[in-house]
Amino acid sequence: MSDSTVVQALRRAFQVAPTLRRGLVVTLLLAGVGTAMSLVVPITLQRIVDTQLVGVDAIDTGAVLRSGLVAVGAVILAASARWTSLMRIARFVPAGLAELRNEAFSHLHRLSALHTETNRRGAMVARVTSDVAALEHFMEWAGIGMLIGITQLILAMTTMLFYNVRLALIVIAGVAVYGTLLLWFQKLLKRAHGAHRNTISDSMSAVSESITGLPIIRAHGAEAETLSRVDQALSRQFVAGFRTARFGAFLFSSAEIFAGLITAAVIGFGVIFGARGQLTTGTLLAFLFLVNLLTEPVQMIVEASDSAQAAGAGLRKVLTVIDEPVDLPDSAEPQPLPTGSLAVAAVDTTFQYPTGPPIIRNLHLSIAPGERIAVVGQTGSGKTTFAKLVARLIDPTAGAIHVGGVDVRNVSFSELRSRVSYVPQQGFLFNTSIIENIRYGRAAATDEEVEDAITDLKLGDWVEGLPDGLSTMAGVRGQNLSAGERQLVALTRAWVANPDLLILDEATSAVDPALELRLRDAIERLAQGRTSITVAHRLSTAEAADRVLVFESGEIVEDGTHIELIELGGVYASLHADWAMATR
Amino acid sequence: MGTVLRQGSAHVGRLIRGHPIAFTIAVFGSTMFVSAIAIAAVVIGNITDDVIIPVLDGGEPYADRLRPAVLLIAAIALYKAVGIIIRRVGASWLQIRSQMDFVSRLIHHQYKLSMPWHHGEDTGDLLAITDNDAGQATFVLGPLPYATGVSLLLVGALVLVTSIDVWLGLVALVSFGLVVTTDVGSAWFIFGGFEKLQRMVGDVSAVAHESFDGALTVKAIGAEDLEVERFSKVSNALRDQRTWVSVRAESFRTVSEIIPTLGLVAVIVVGGYRIQAGAITPGEVVTALYLMSLLSFPIRLIGFVTWETTFALASWRRIARIVEADDLIHHGEMDPSGQATGTEVSGENVTFSYPGRDPVLSDLGFHIEPGETVAVVGPTASGKSTMVSLLARLWDPDRGTIQLDGRDLRDFAARGVSSEVTIVPQESFLFNLSVRENITLGQHFSEDEIRAAADLAQATPFILELPHGFDTVVGEQGATLSGGQAQRIALARSIVRKPRLLILDDATSAIDPSVETAILTGLRNAELPSTVVMVAYRQASITLADRVILVDDGRIIATGTHAHLLATQPVYSDILTAYADV
Repeated sequence: MSDSTVVQALRRAFQVAPTLRRGLVVTLLLAGVGTAMSLVVPITLQRIVDTQLVGVDAIDTGAVLRSGLVAVGAVILAASARWTSLMRIARFVPAGLAELRNEAFSHLHRLSALHTETNRRGAMVARVTSDVAALEHFMEWAGIGMLIGITQLILAMTTMLFYNVRLALIVIAGVAVYGTLLLWFQKLLKRAHGAHRNTISDSMSAVSESITGLPIIRAHGAEAETLSRVDQALSRQFVAGFRTARFGAFLFSSAEIFAGLITAAVIGFGVIFGARGQLTTGTLLAFLFLVNLLTEPVQMIVEASDSAQAAGAGLRKVLTVIDEPVDLPDSAEPQPLPTGSLAVAAVDTTFQYPTGPPIIRNLHLSIAPGERIAVVGQTGSGKTTFAKLVARLIDPTAGAIHVGGVDVRNVSFSELRSRVSYVPQQGFLFNTSIIENIRYGRAAATDEEVEDAITDLKLGDWVEGLPDGLSTMAGVRGQNLSAGERQLVALTRAWVANPDLLILDEATSAVDPALELRLRDAIERLAQGRTSITVAHRLSTAEAADRVLVFESGEIVEDGTHIELIELGGVYASLHADWAMATR
Repeated sequence: MGTVLRQGSAHVGRLIRGHPIAFTIAVFGSTMFVSAIAIAAVVIGNITDDVIIPVLDGGEPYADRLRPAVLLIAAIALYKAVGIIIRRVGASWLQIRSQMDFVSRLIHHQYKLSMPWHHGEDTGDLLAITDNDAGQATFVLGPLPYATGVSLLLVGALVLVTSIDVWLGLVALVSFGLVVTTDVGSAWFIFGGFEKLQRMVGDVSAVAHESFDGALTVKAIGAEDLEVERFSKVSNALRDQRTWVSVRAESFRTVSEIIPTLGLVAVIVVGGYRIQAGAITPGEVVTALYLMSLLSFPIRLIGFVTWETTFALASWRRIARIVEADDLIHHGEMDPSGQATGTEVSGENVTFSYPGRDPVLSDLGFHIEPGETVAVVGPTASGKSTMVSLLARLWDPDRGTIQLDGRDLRDFAARGVSSEVTIVPQESFLFNLSVRENITLGQHFSEDEIRAAADLAQATPFILELPHGFDTVVGEQGATLSGGQAQRIALARSIVRKPRLLILDDATSAIDPSVETAILTGLRNAELPSTVVMVAYRQASITLADRVILVDDGRIIATGTHAHLLATQPVYSDILTAYADV
């Protein structure tokens, strides 16, 4: 990772979140002016020493006071400039970062990876939290500190050059060596940190397993062995951590020796040059103070360069998300859907993930408006993928899906989502009340409409049995409700949305029989009068459907009514026979 | 804030008392370091008076005066460096050691706490406390020796400057006093807002987590805009709070940065007057100036340590909640029998509820013969898993007893129950260890025993196909195993312990029915005929049991053979129907 890519990443971040660079030039100029504060003391000292304290018989205390007042004025002026600059940063940086965070969040919701690649979810949360925070640290502290440090270096060096070129060059050469040393130490230390980090991740893994695996460990009586494994990992971490710290202590103290040597050189050469009349007392004293102004920013810059790398890495991750093209783009020239129940057709449809075999192969299919379809097949046969294609939760890799005679890619999302409802296997509930969760189906639904939906689905006594009725809180991920109850909320959601095409991916979890009956009832009511596609895990659903599609390895191998398929004596008939035997 | 600082200091005090020698060493190094600063200032002042002014203004030759001056400065730098090394080495030993102590103490204590305690805790939270708070509670130890040294130096510097001149001493006192007051005051003023900021960071993360978890639903119902709006709300609140904190923190910082500079200007001006009055020499003014300018960074350490103390206290409070919890498991004195036969299991009037909930099991009574295989069947949430976890004493019943061969589980000594009973849970948990270590969990078993257990669990064939066989590392960061393979390793883990009672809590759900049959038949014919209790869903596995216990709504409603229950219990056939499609 070179610095130039950090700069490139910053430039891109400024495009995404323009507030980040709002008034940046003025902010930096003010910070530069503010830095001049540090020069006030050496310069004042030089002036007072050279004009008043030495080589004159009587000190003009009035002149000393005037110089002092000028210095105070300069300090206050510089401090105001720095303060103004810091206030601008305090306003613009958090605002810009919020823009970046919000943009990354909303873009992630546009990517289908968010719901297809569930294993990447933790990383995606990091994109809008810790990765942005790394940039925050850089923008508010390290980035500004670095710029102020550089300004201070330049100002101090210029002042020195102005006072005495030869002594200044000696100091600058010394500081250059000091800076190089620090950079080199930083690299050595980074390498030492690598070994340390390995022990940290080892002990973190031992610790996390000992906590998450506690019931297992207890059930097998392996407490003592586990605890000793944790303690061993911790003592390895301690040894490696302490070794790194010791190494750092030696490295940085040697840098301190170097700073002392520069001071010694300034006195040595300063006195020699002064003896030749090339340097005044005040100037030499000013130099002693200026040297201290150089070593601190050099340390700061070296430290900040580390933070810059971390910020660059975090920022690049955020930008990668923001720059990932939307794989399910909304239609640019949307075509309207016909009114009423919607027909569905698959035209030579194929779907596969980038790394894997086709899940749906060359599918041809036509479903009439109002037809009630059951989709059956083994796990992995492509049933759920087919349902998601119709709902346009994913796009086919070849061919097309038509709804109401229109390619779904040419239908605007706002129309598609309001006309087509997809109810997934595991109805997800948000951590809010049940009524708010139902309103996710249609934000404008009134309380009466939601209550009517409950009545129509015959769920009234279930709602009454809840602690706070419809105001009952669902809990994180709906954990206050059972899996079957969550499914009921998801169905009510679909009812409120009043779709013309209903796609149900039925629940697989074994719910208790009473609730199961309720679910089946609700589904039947919901499907009445609309086109419906139900991925059926219970063959009783298939028995009641107008038409059954049997999937195998991504293809439809049988297509007909329940009676027809039983008579056919093929895949469906044997599935049904297995099922019937187990249940009857 | 007063309480915060008092309790924070108490916390820091405890940490120091834990390792007093390391702290003393670090403070000693720090004292060397700060005394180097004071000595450097005095030396620079003397050099000004004895070398610089006489040579540069008096025109005297520097002759042999220069060499000792330069060497002296270099020697002080060396002395200072040694001080830095001692301080940093001591402080980092103290900090890292204390952090490791906390982590170890947290884990050891968690292992002593009872299941009801663990039940009320979020595992993610426990992990965060162990990982982050143990660090955060001790980070203050890093800068603390430095700050202690600086406090000494402040006093020393005041004495030194006052001994040069009272007026200069007064300037130094005002300047130091204002800086420390401003820094400590800003910690006091901003702490609440900062805590709020941390909470808001958590809010943003929580909304993102929830929204991304529900991504499929969000997309399916077209609720992306609603979600973006919801996220923006917490995200913008975080933005405003961040600005609130920054504006105040940076304003305070500007003030505490200009005070030392103004103090230095005051020293120059006051020094001018005092030199004119003949009270002091220019070199002495330089000493005061140099000392105060070298102090202008270290003095900020005192405010910094104040901040760190408040953070450390917040973390310590979270740690204390765990290490001071006293809900320990109690064990009896009785040793396990050491018998190698299946045990008889019985429960009498067993009633159980999870903390703060309605009873899950009420008045359960059952009797299982030695060597019997029993299936526990019932609708979801009927109490099956809870019932079998009581048999392994993962929980204790609220009322009633559970006995093995007539011995109450609560009378067993520590680790006694687990030497007779093992449970294989619904979700198989694999550690980031080799297959072998996952089976032994670090306890000693012979190669033959491990092999035999893997054979019984029908796991040997696929284990041998892994890249390093039994030495292949599995678990989160290891080789990927299917759910069924993980379950078979978890099963071998239990079998190798030759339990007298083996409990399978839906532990074979991801295993093919034919393999499952082989496993259950193998267990029956093994040389150690364990009593087996299994929570089962599949008809195929249920029919392998000698007997079925039918549970509904926390009660046993019938027991008998599969055929008997099928014929007499309509509920039973309903349940099997519901399961059949799974």
